[in-house]
Amino acid sequence: MEKREVLFRIKRFNPKKDEKPYFQEYKLTVPKGMTVLEALQQIKDTQDPTLAFRAFCRSAICGSCAVKVNGFPKLACKTQIFNELDKFGTDTLTLEPLDNMEIIRDLIVDWDKPFKRMEEMKPWLVPDPEVVPKTLDEESRVYPNELKKFDSFTDCILCTSCFSSCTATQIDENYGGPFQLARVYRFAVDPRDALKAERSKIGYAFDMWNCVRCNKCADVCPKHISPVDGIMKLRGLSIDVGLKDNPGARHVMAFYKSLLESGMLNEVLLPLRTKGIKGVLENLPVGIKMILKGKAHSPVMKPIAEHETLIKVMKAAMEVE
Amino acid sequence: MLQFDILIVGAGGAGLYAALETSKRKGLSVAVLSKVYPTRSHTGAAQGGINAALGNVAPDSPEKHAYDTVKGSDFLADQDAVELMCEMAPKIIREMEHMGLPFSRLKDGRIAQRPFGGASFPRTCYAADKTGHVMLQTLYEQCLKNGVKFLNEWFLLSVVHNGDRVSGVVAMDLRTGGVHGIRAKAVILATGGHARVYWNRTSNALGNTGDGTAAVLRAGLPLKDMEFVQFHPTGLRRTGILVTEGARGEGGYLINNKGERFMKKYAPEKMELAPRDMVSRAIETEIMEGRGFRDDEGNEFVYLDLRHLGRKKILERLPQIRELAIDFEGVDPIEEPIPVRPTAHYSMGGIDADKLGRTPIKGLYAAGECACISVHGANRLGGNSLLDIVVFGKLSGEDAINYVSEIGFAPFDESEVKKEEERIDSLFSSDGKEKLVDLRSELSDVMSYGAGIFREEKKMKEALEKVREIKERAKHVKVYDGERTFNTNLQQTLEFLNLVEIAETIVLPALERKESRGAHYRTDYPKRDDENFLKHSVVERGEDGELRLSWKPVVITKYQPEERKY
Repeated sequence: MEKREVLFRIKRFNPKKDEKPYFQEYKLTVPKGMTVLEALQQIKDTQDPTLAFRAFCRSAICGSCAVKVNGFPKLACKTQIFNELDKFGTDTLTLEPLDNMEIIRDLIVDWDKPFKRMEEMKPWLVPDPEVVPKTLDEESRVYPNELKKFDSFTDCILCTSCFSSCTATQIDENYGGPFQLARVYRFAVDPRDALKAERSKIGYAFDMWNCVRCNKCADVCPKHISPVDGIMKLRGLSIDVGLKDNPGARHVMAFYKSLLESGMLNEVLLPLRTKGIKGVLENLPVGIKMILKGKAHSPVMKPIAEHETLIKVMKAAMEVE
Repeated sequence: MLQFDILIVGAGGAGLYAALETSKRKGLSVAVLSKVYPTRSHTGAAQGGINAALGNVAPDSPEKHAYDTVKGSDFLADQDAVELMCEMAPKIIREMEHMGLPFSRLKDGRIAQRPFGGASFPRTCYAADKTGHVMLQTLYEQCLKNGVKFLNEWFLLSVVHNGDRVSGVVAMDLRTGGVHGIRAKAVILATGGHARVYWNRTSNALGNTGDGTAAVLRAGLPLKDMEFVQFHPTGLRRTGILVTEGARGEGGYLINNKGERFMKKYAPEKMELAPRDMVSRAIETEIMEGRGFRDDEGNEFVYLDLRHLGRKKILERLPQIRELAIDFEGVDPIEEPIPVRPTAHYSMGGIDADKLGRTPIKGLYAAGECACISVHGANRLGGNSLLDIVVFGKLSGEDAINYVSEIGFAPFDESEVKKEEERIDSLFSSDGKEKLVDLRSELSDVMSYGAGIFREEKKMKEALEKVREIKERAKHVKVYDGERTFNTNLQQTLEFLNLVEIAETIVLPALERKESRGAHYRTDYPKRDDENFLKHSVVERGEDGELRLSWKPVVITKYQPEERKY
């Protein structure tokens, strides 16, 4: 069977002893099929019993073992070493703890912050008395197409991979976080929930408009969930329930309006429509430069050819949603 | 000292349901202590579903459910407890549904049900192949809603009692390494199973090491029916990771190297959906008689073929299984059959408890896989474990509320904390002549050899001797990591020591049960013997440190023992 000599560079840190994290190197002969978790355990068993990492189910369902492998969050238990080596064209694997959380020791991070945040966002069903029966003699009816709207979000195993790679989380202390906001959306579209679209107000309070749509949360999710998709839909719900008087909602509506008017994005009017006069003033220096270089278009735009068809497509899409 | 009216140890389905039940009562202080974050518990790995006679797909009744369960148990289950569980099943399913659990649905919006092994009707409610996962998430959400207090990443060291009443536990905060006494009027143990005894081939999580069960044994209390360990028929070839019975429930075939659906020889009527003990023996027999497959690494296996179900059904009903097969075996079940072999899966035996979860010590309860109520007897039916944990989690929670409201705290002997500190200190200063990894693997090999799927007197005697030898040698295992913060070297050592203690309690009654019943199959006594062995085995440790075996009658209400045919 094929075997390879692999160099593991593992980030070590013990806050009690070390001033800052450092890398320690271990060599291991890895047979084909070995996972990152198996390698970690083998290093612990045969080379260094002090190496600290979390693991539990080792079948990709408990969410304990997420670490960064060559820079990307992965569940160690389901990550085949050969696949990673081939992908990066290397014989070295760098293992680090997840980002955006404090390190407790080595690869173990402090989960309290992301989970407390989730708790603050009321991630539980509040039963709607119109839908959920009062006695235990009956079930509520949930039709397969209704389940489909939120089913994928219930796959979340709270591994915090998305939280680790989230851009908005890095810069905004108040930001709700990807898996947390996605769970808010999950309940917002559950027909059994009493709060329904009103839940989007929780998303609003936790800065959901600060998501920069970098898509990293969806890229790294080991369960193939797209939290960003849930966040975008939650934003939509917030406009539906009347949270329109904010830059995020105005920005979206400015896009929409501009498409309805001409089928093109009116970038000249966008700052005005999003942030009012303040937006115009903020963007003035760039605007003047653009005008001088001949890059700015007229605030009045002619509709594109087949504009009517575009409007039909847009309306149809809104109905599907 | 930390102090709670009710302390729940373990945060899987049983622990969380007990927590939920107790949190409804205002004014009680309740905490859940768990060695992992709550949603990591192994309930989450249960895939296929949870049984209840809802009758949504075909007419069904709790009586039929109870009969199937008793028959599946090879008549060793206590029938009053089984009846209670099956009676409560439809209501508790609806209760969880009302909490938001995302069950898969029929076209008319009702909860869908699929066929499972040993059941007369499609009775298993499910959420695709992630039923345990969504159950755990839903219960956790509701616990947050009710403000349940969690002690996350705490490790149970011992149960403290005075021979009459429980006084609390001693536990270690993994984050600091500190050893603490926790006083409680009632303690509900929901610490899960111990199939990690079979370390090298099991579907269990790394931490299913029977911590509560071993603590109870050390506390001088009885364990019941420990010889019964279920081997799930379909573990992945290399890792033993579970492939749900739902895969056969949806119509999957088991195939030998002659291309035959060999189950027709063993269970002509139920075929692949015979109970797990029978299917596991059938697979092993095929392999032993040369009709299995063998890979380059020497792994032997048969195939689980799902291809005829078609892409759509596999993606819709078994998406997780497909991904596990791809990630861990490099096989896409849509294109190729999955290589499988039985894997140590479930502990039917456990802490001796009655149908409200009560142990012989007042205020000490056990619920879920760590308990032996007994509703599974000699063999558990698929879909009954998720049911067991929520039903008896709920009932023990209810009973604990009543108990603590009438009573004060029992005195807590502080020397118990010191004792555990010393036990841990001695692990740091041991001579290190033995290695944890080697002993753990040796224990697993011995148990598979002597107390595996097929058992016989000579092998069991050898195994018992060997297990006792390993127990002695384990005194020389050393913890090398000198830090206290998240010392996983220490934790893994403590877990292994629990496994060693439990191993002996499995082999001893297995040796004395001279019959074959459910998962306990003896080649030297291949028949069930109701005259001599229609009874529960009970093991406890005497003052001298030796294990003592006794027997206890089975509760029979209306289902008289009969031959088990499928």
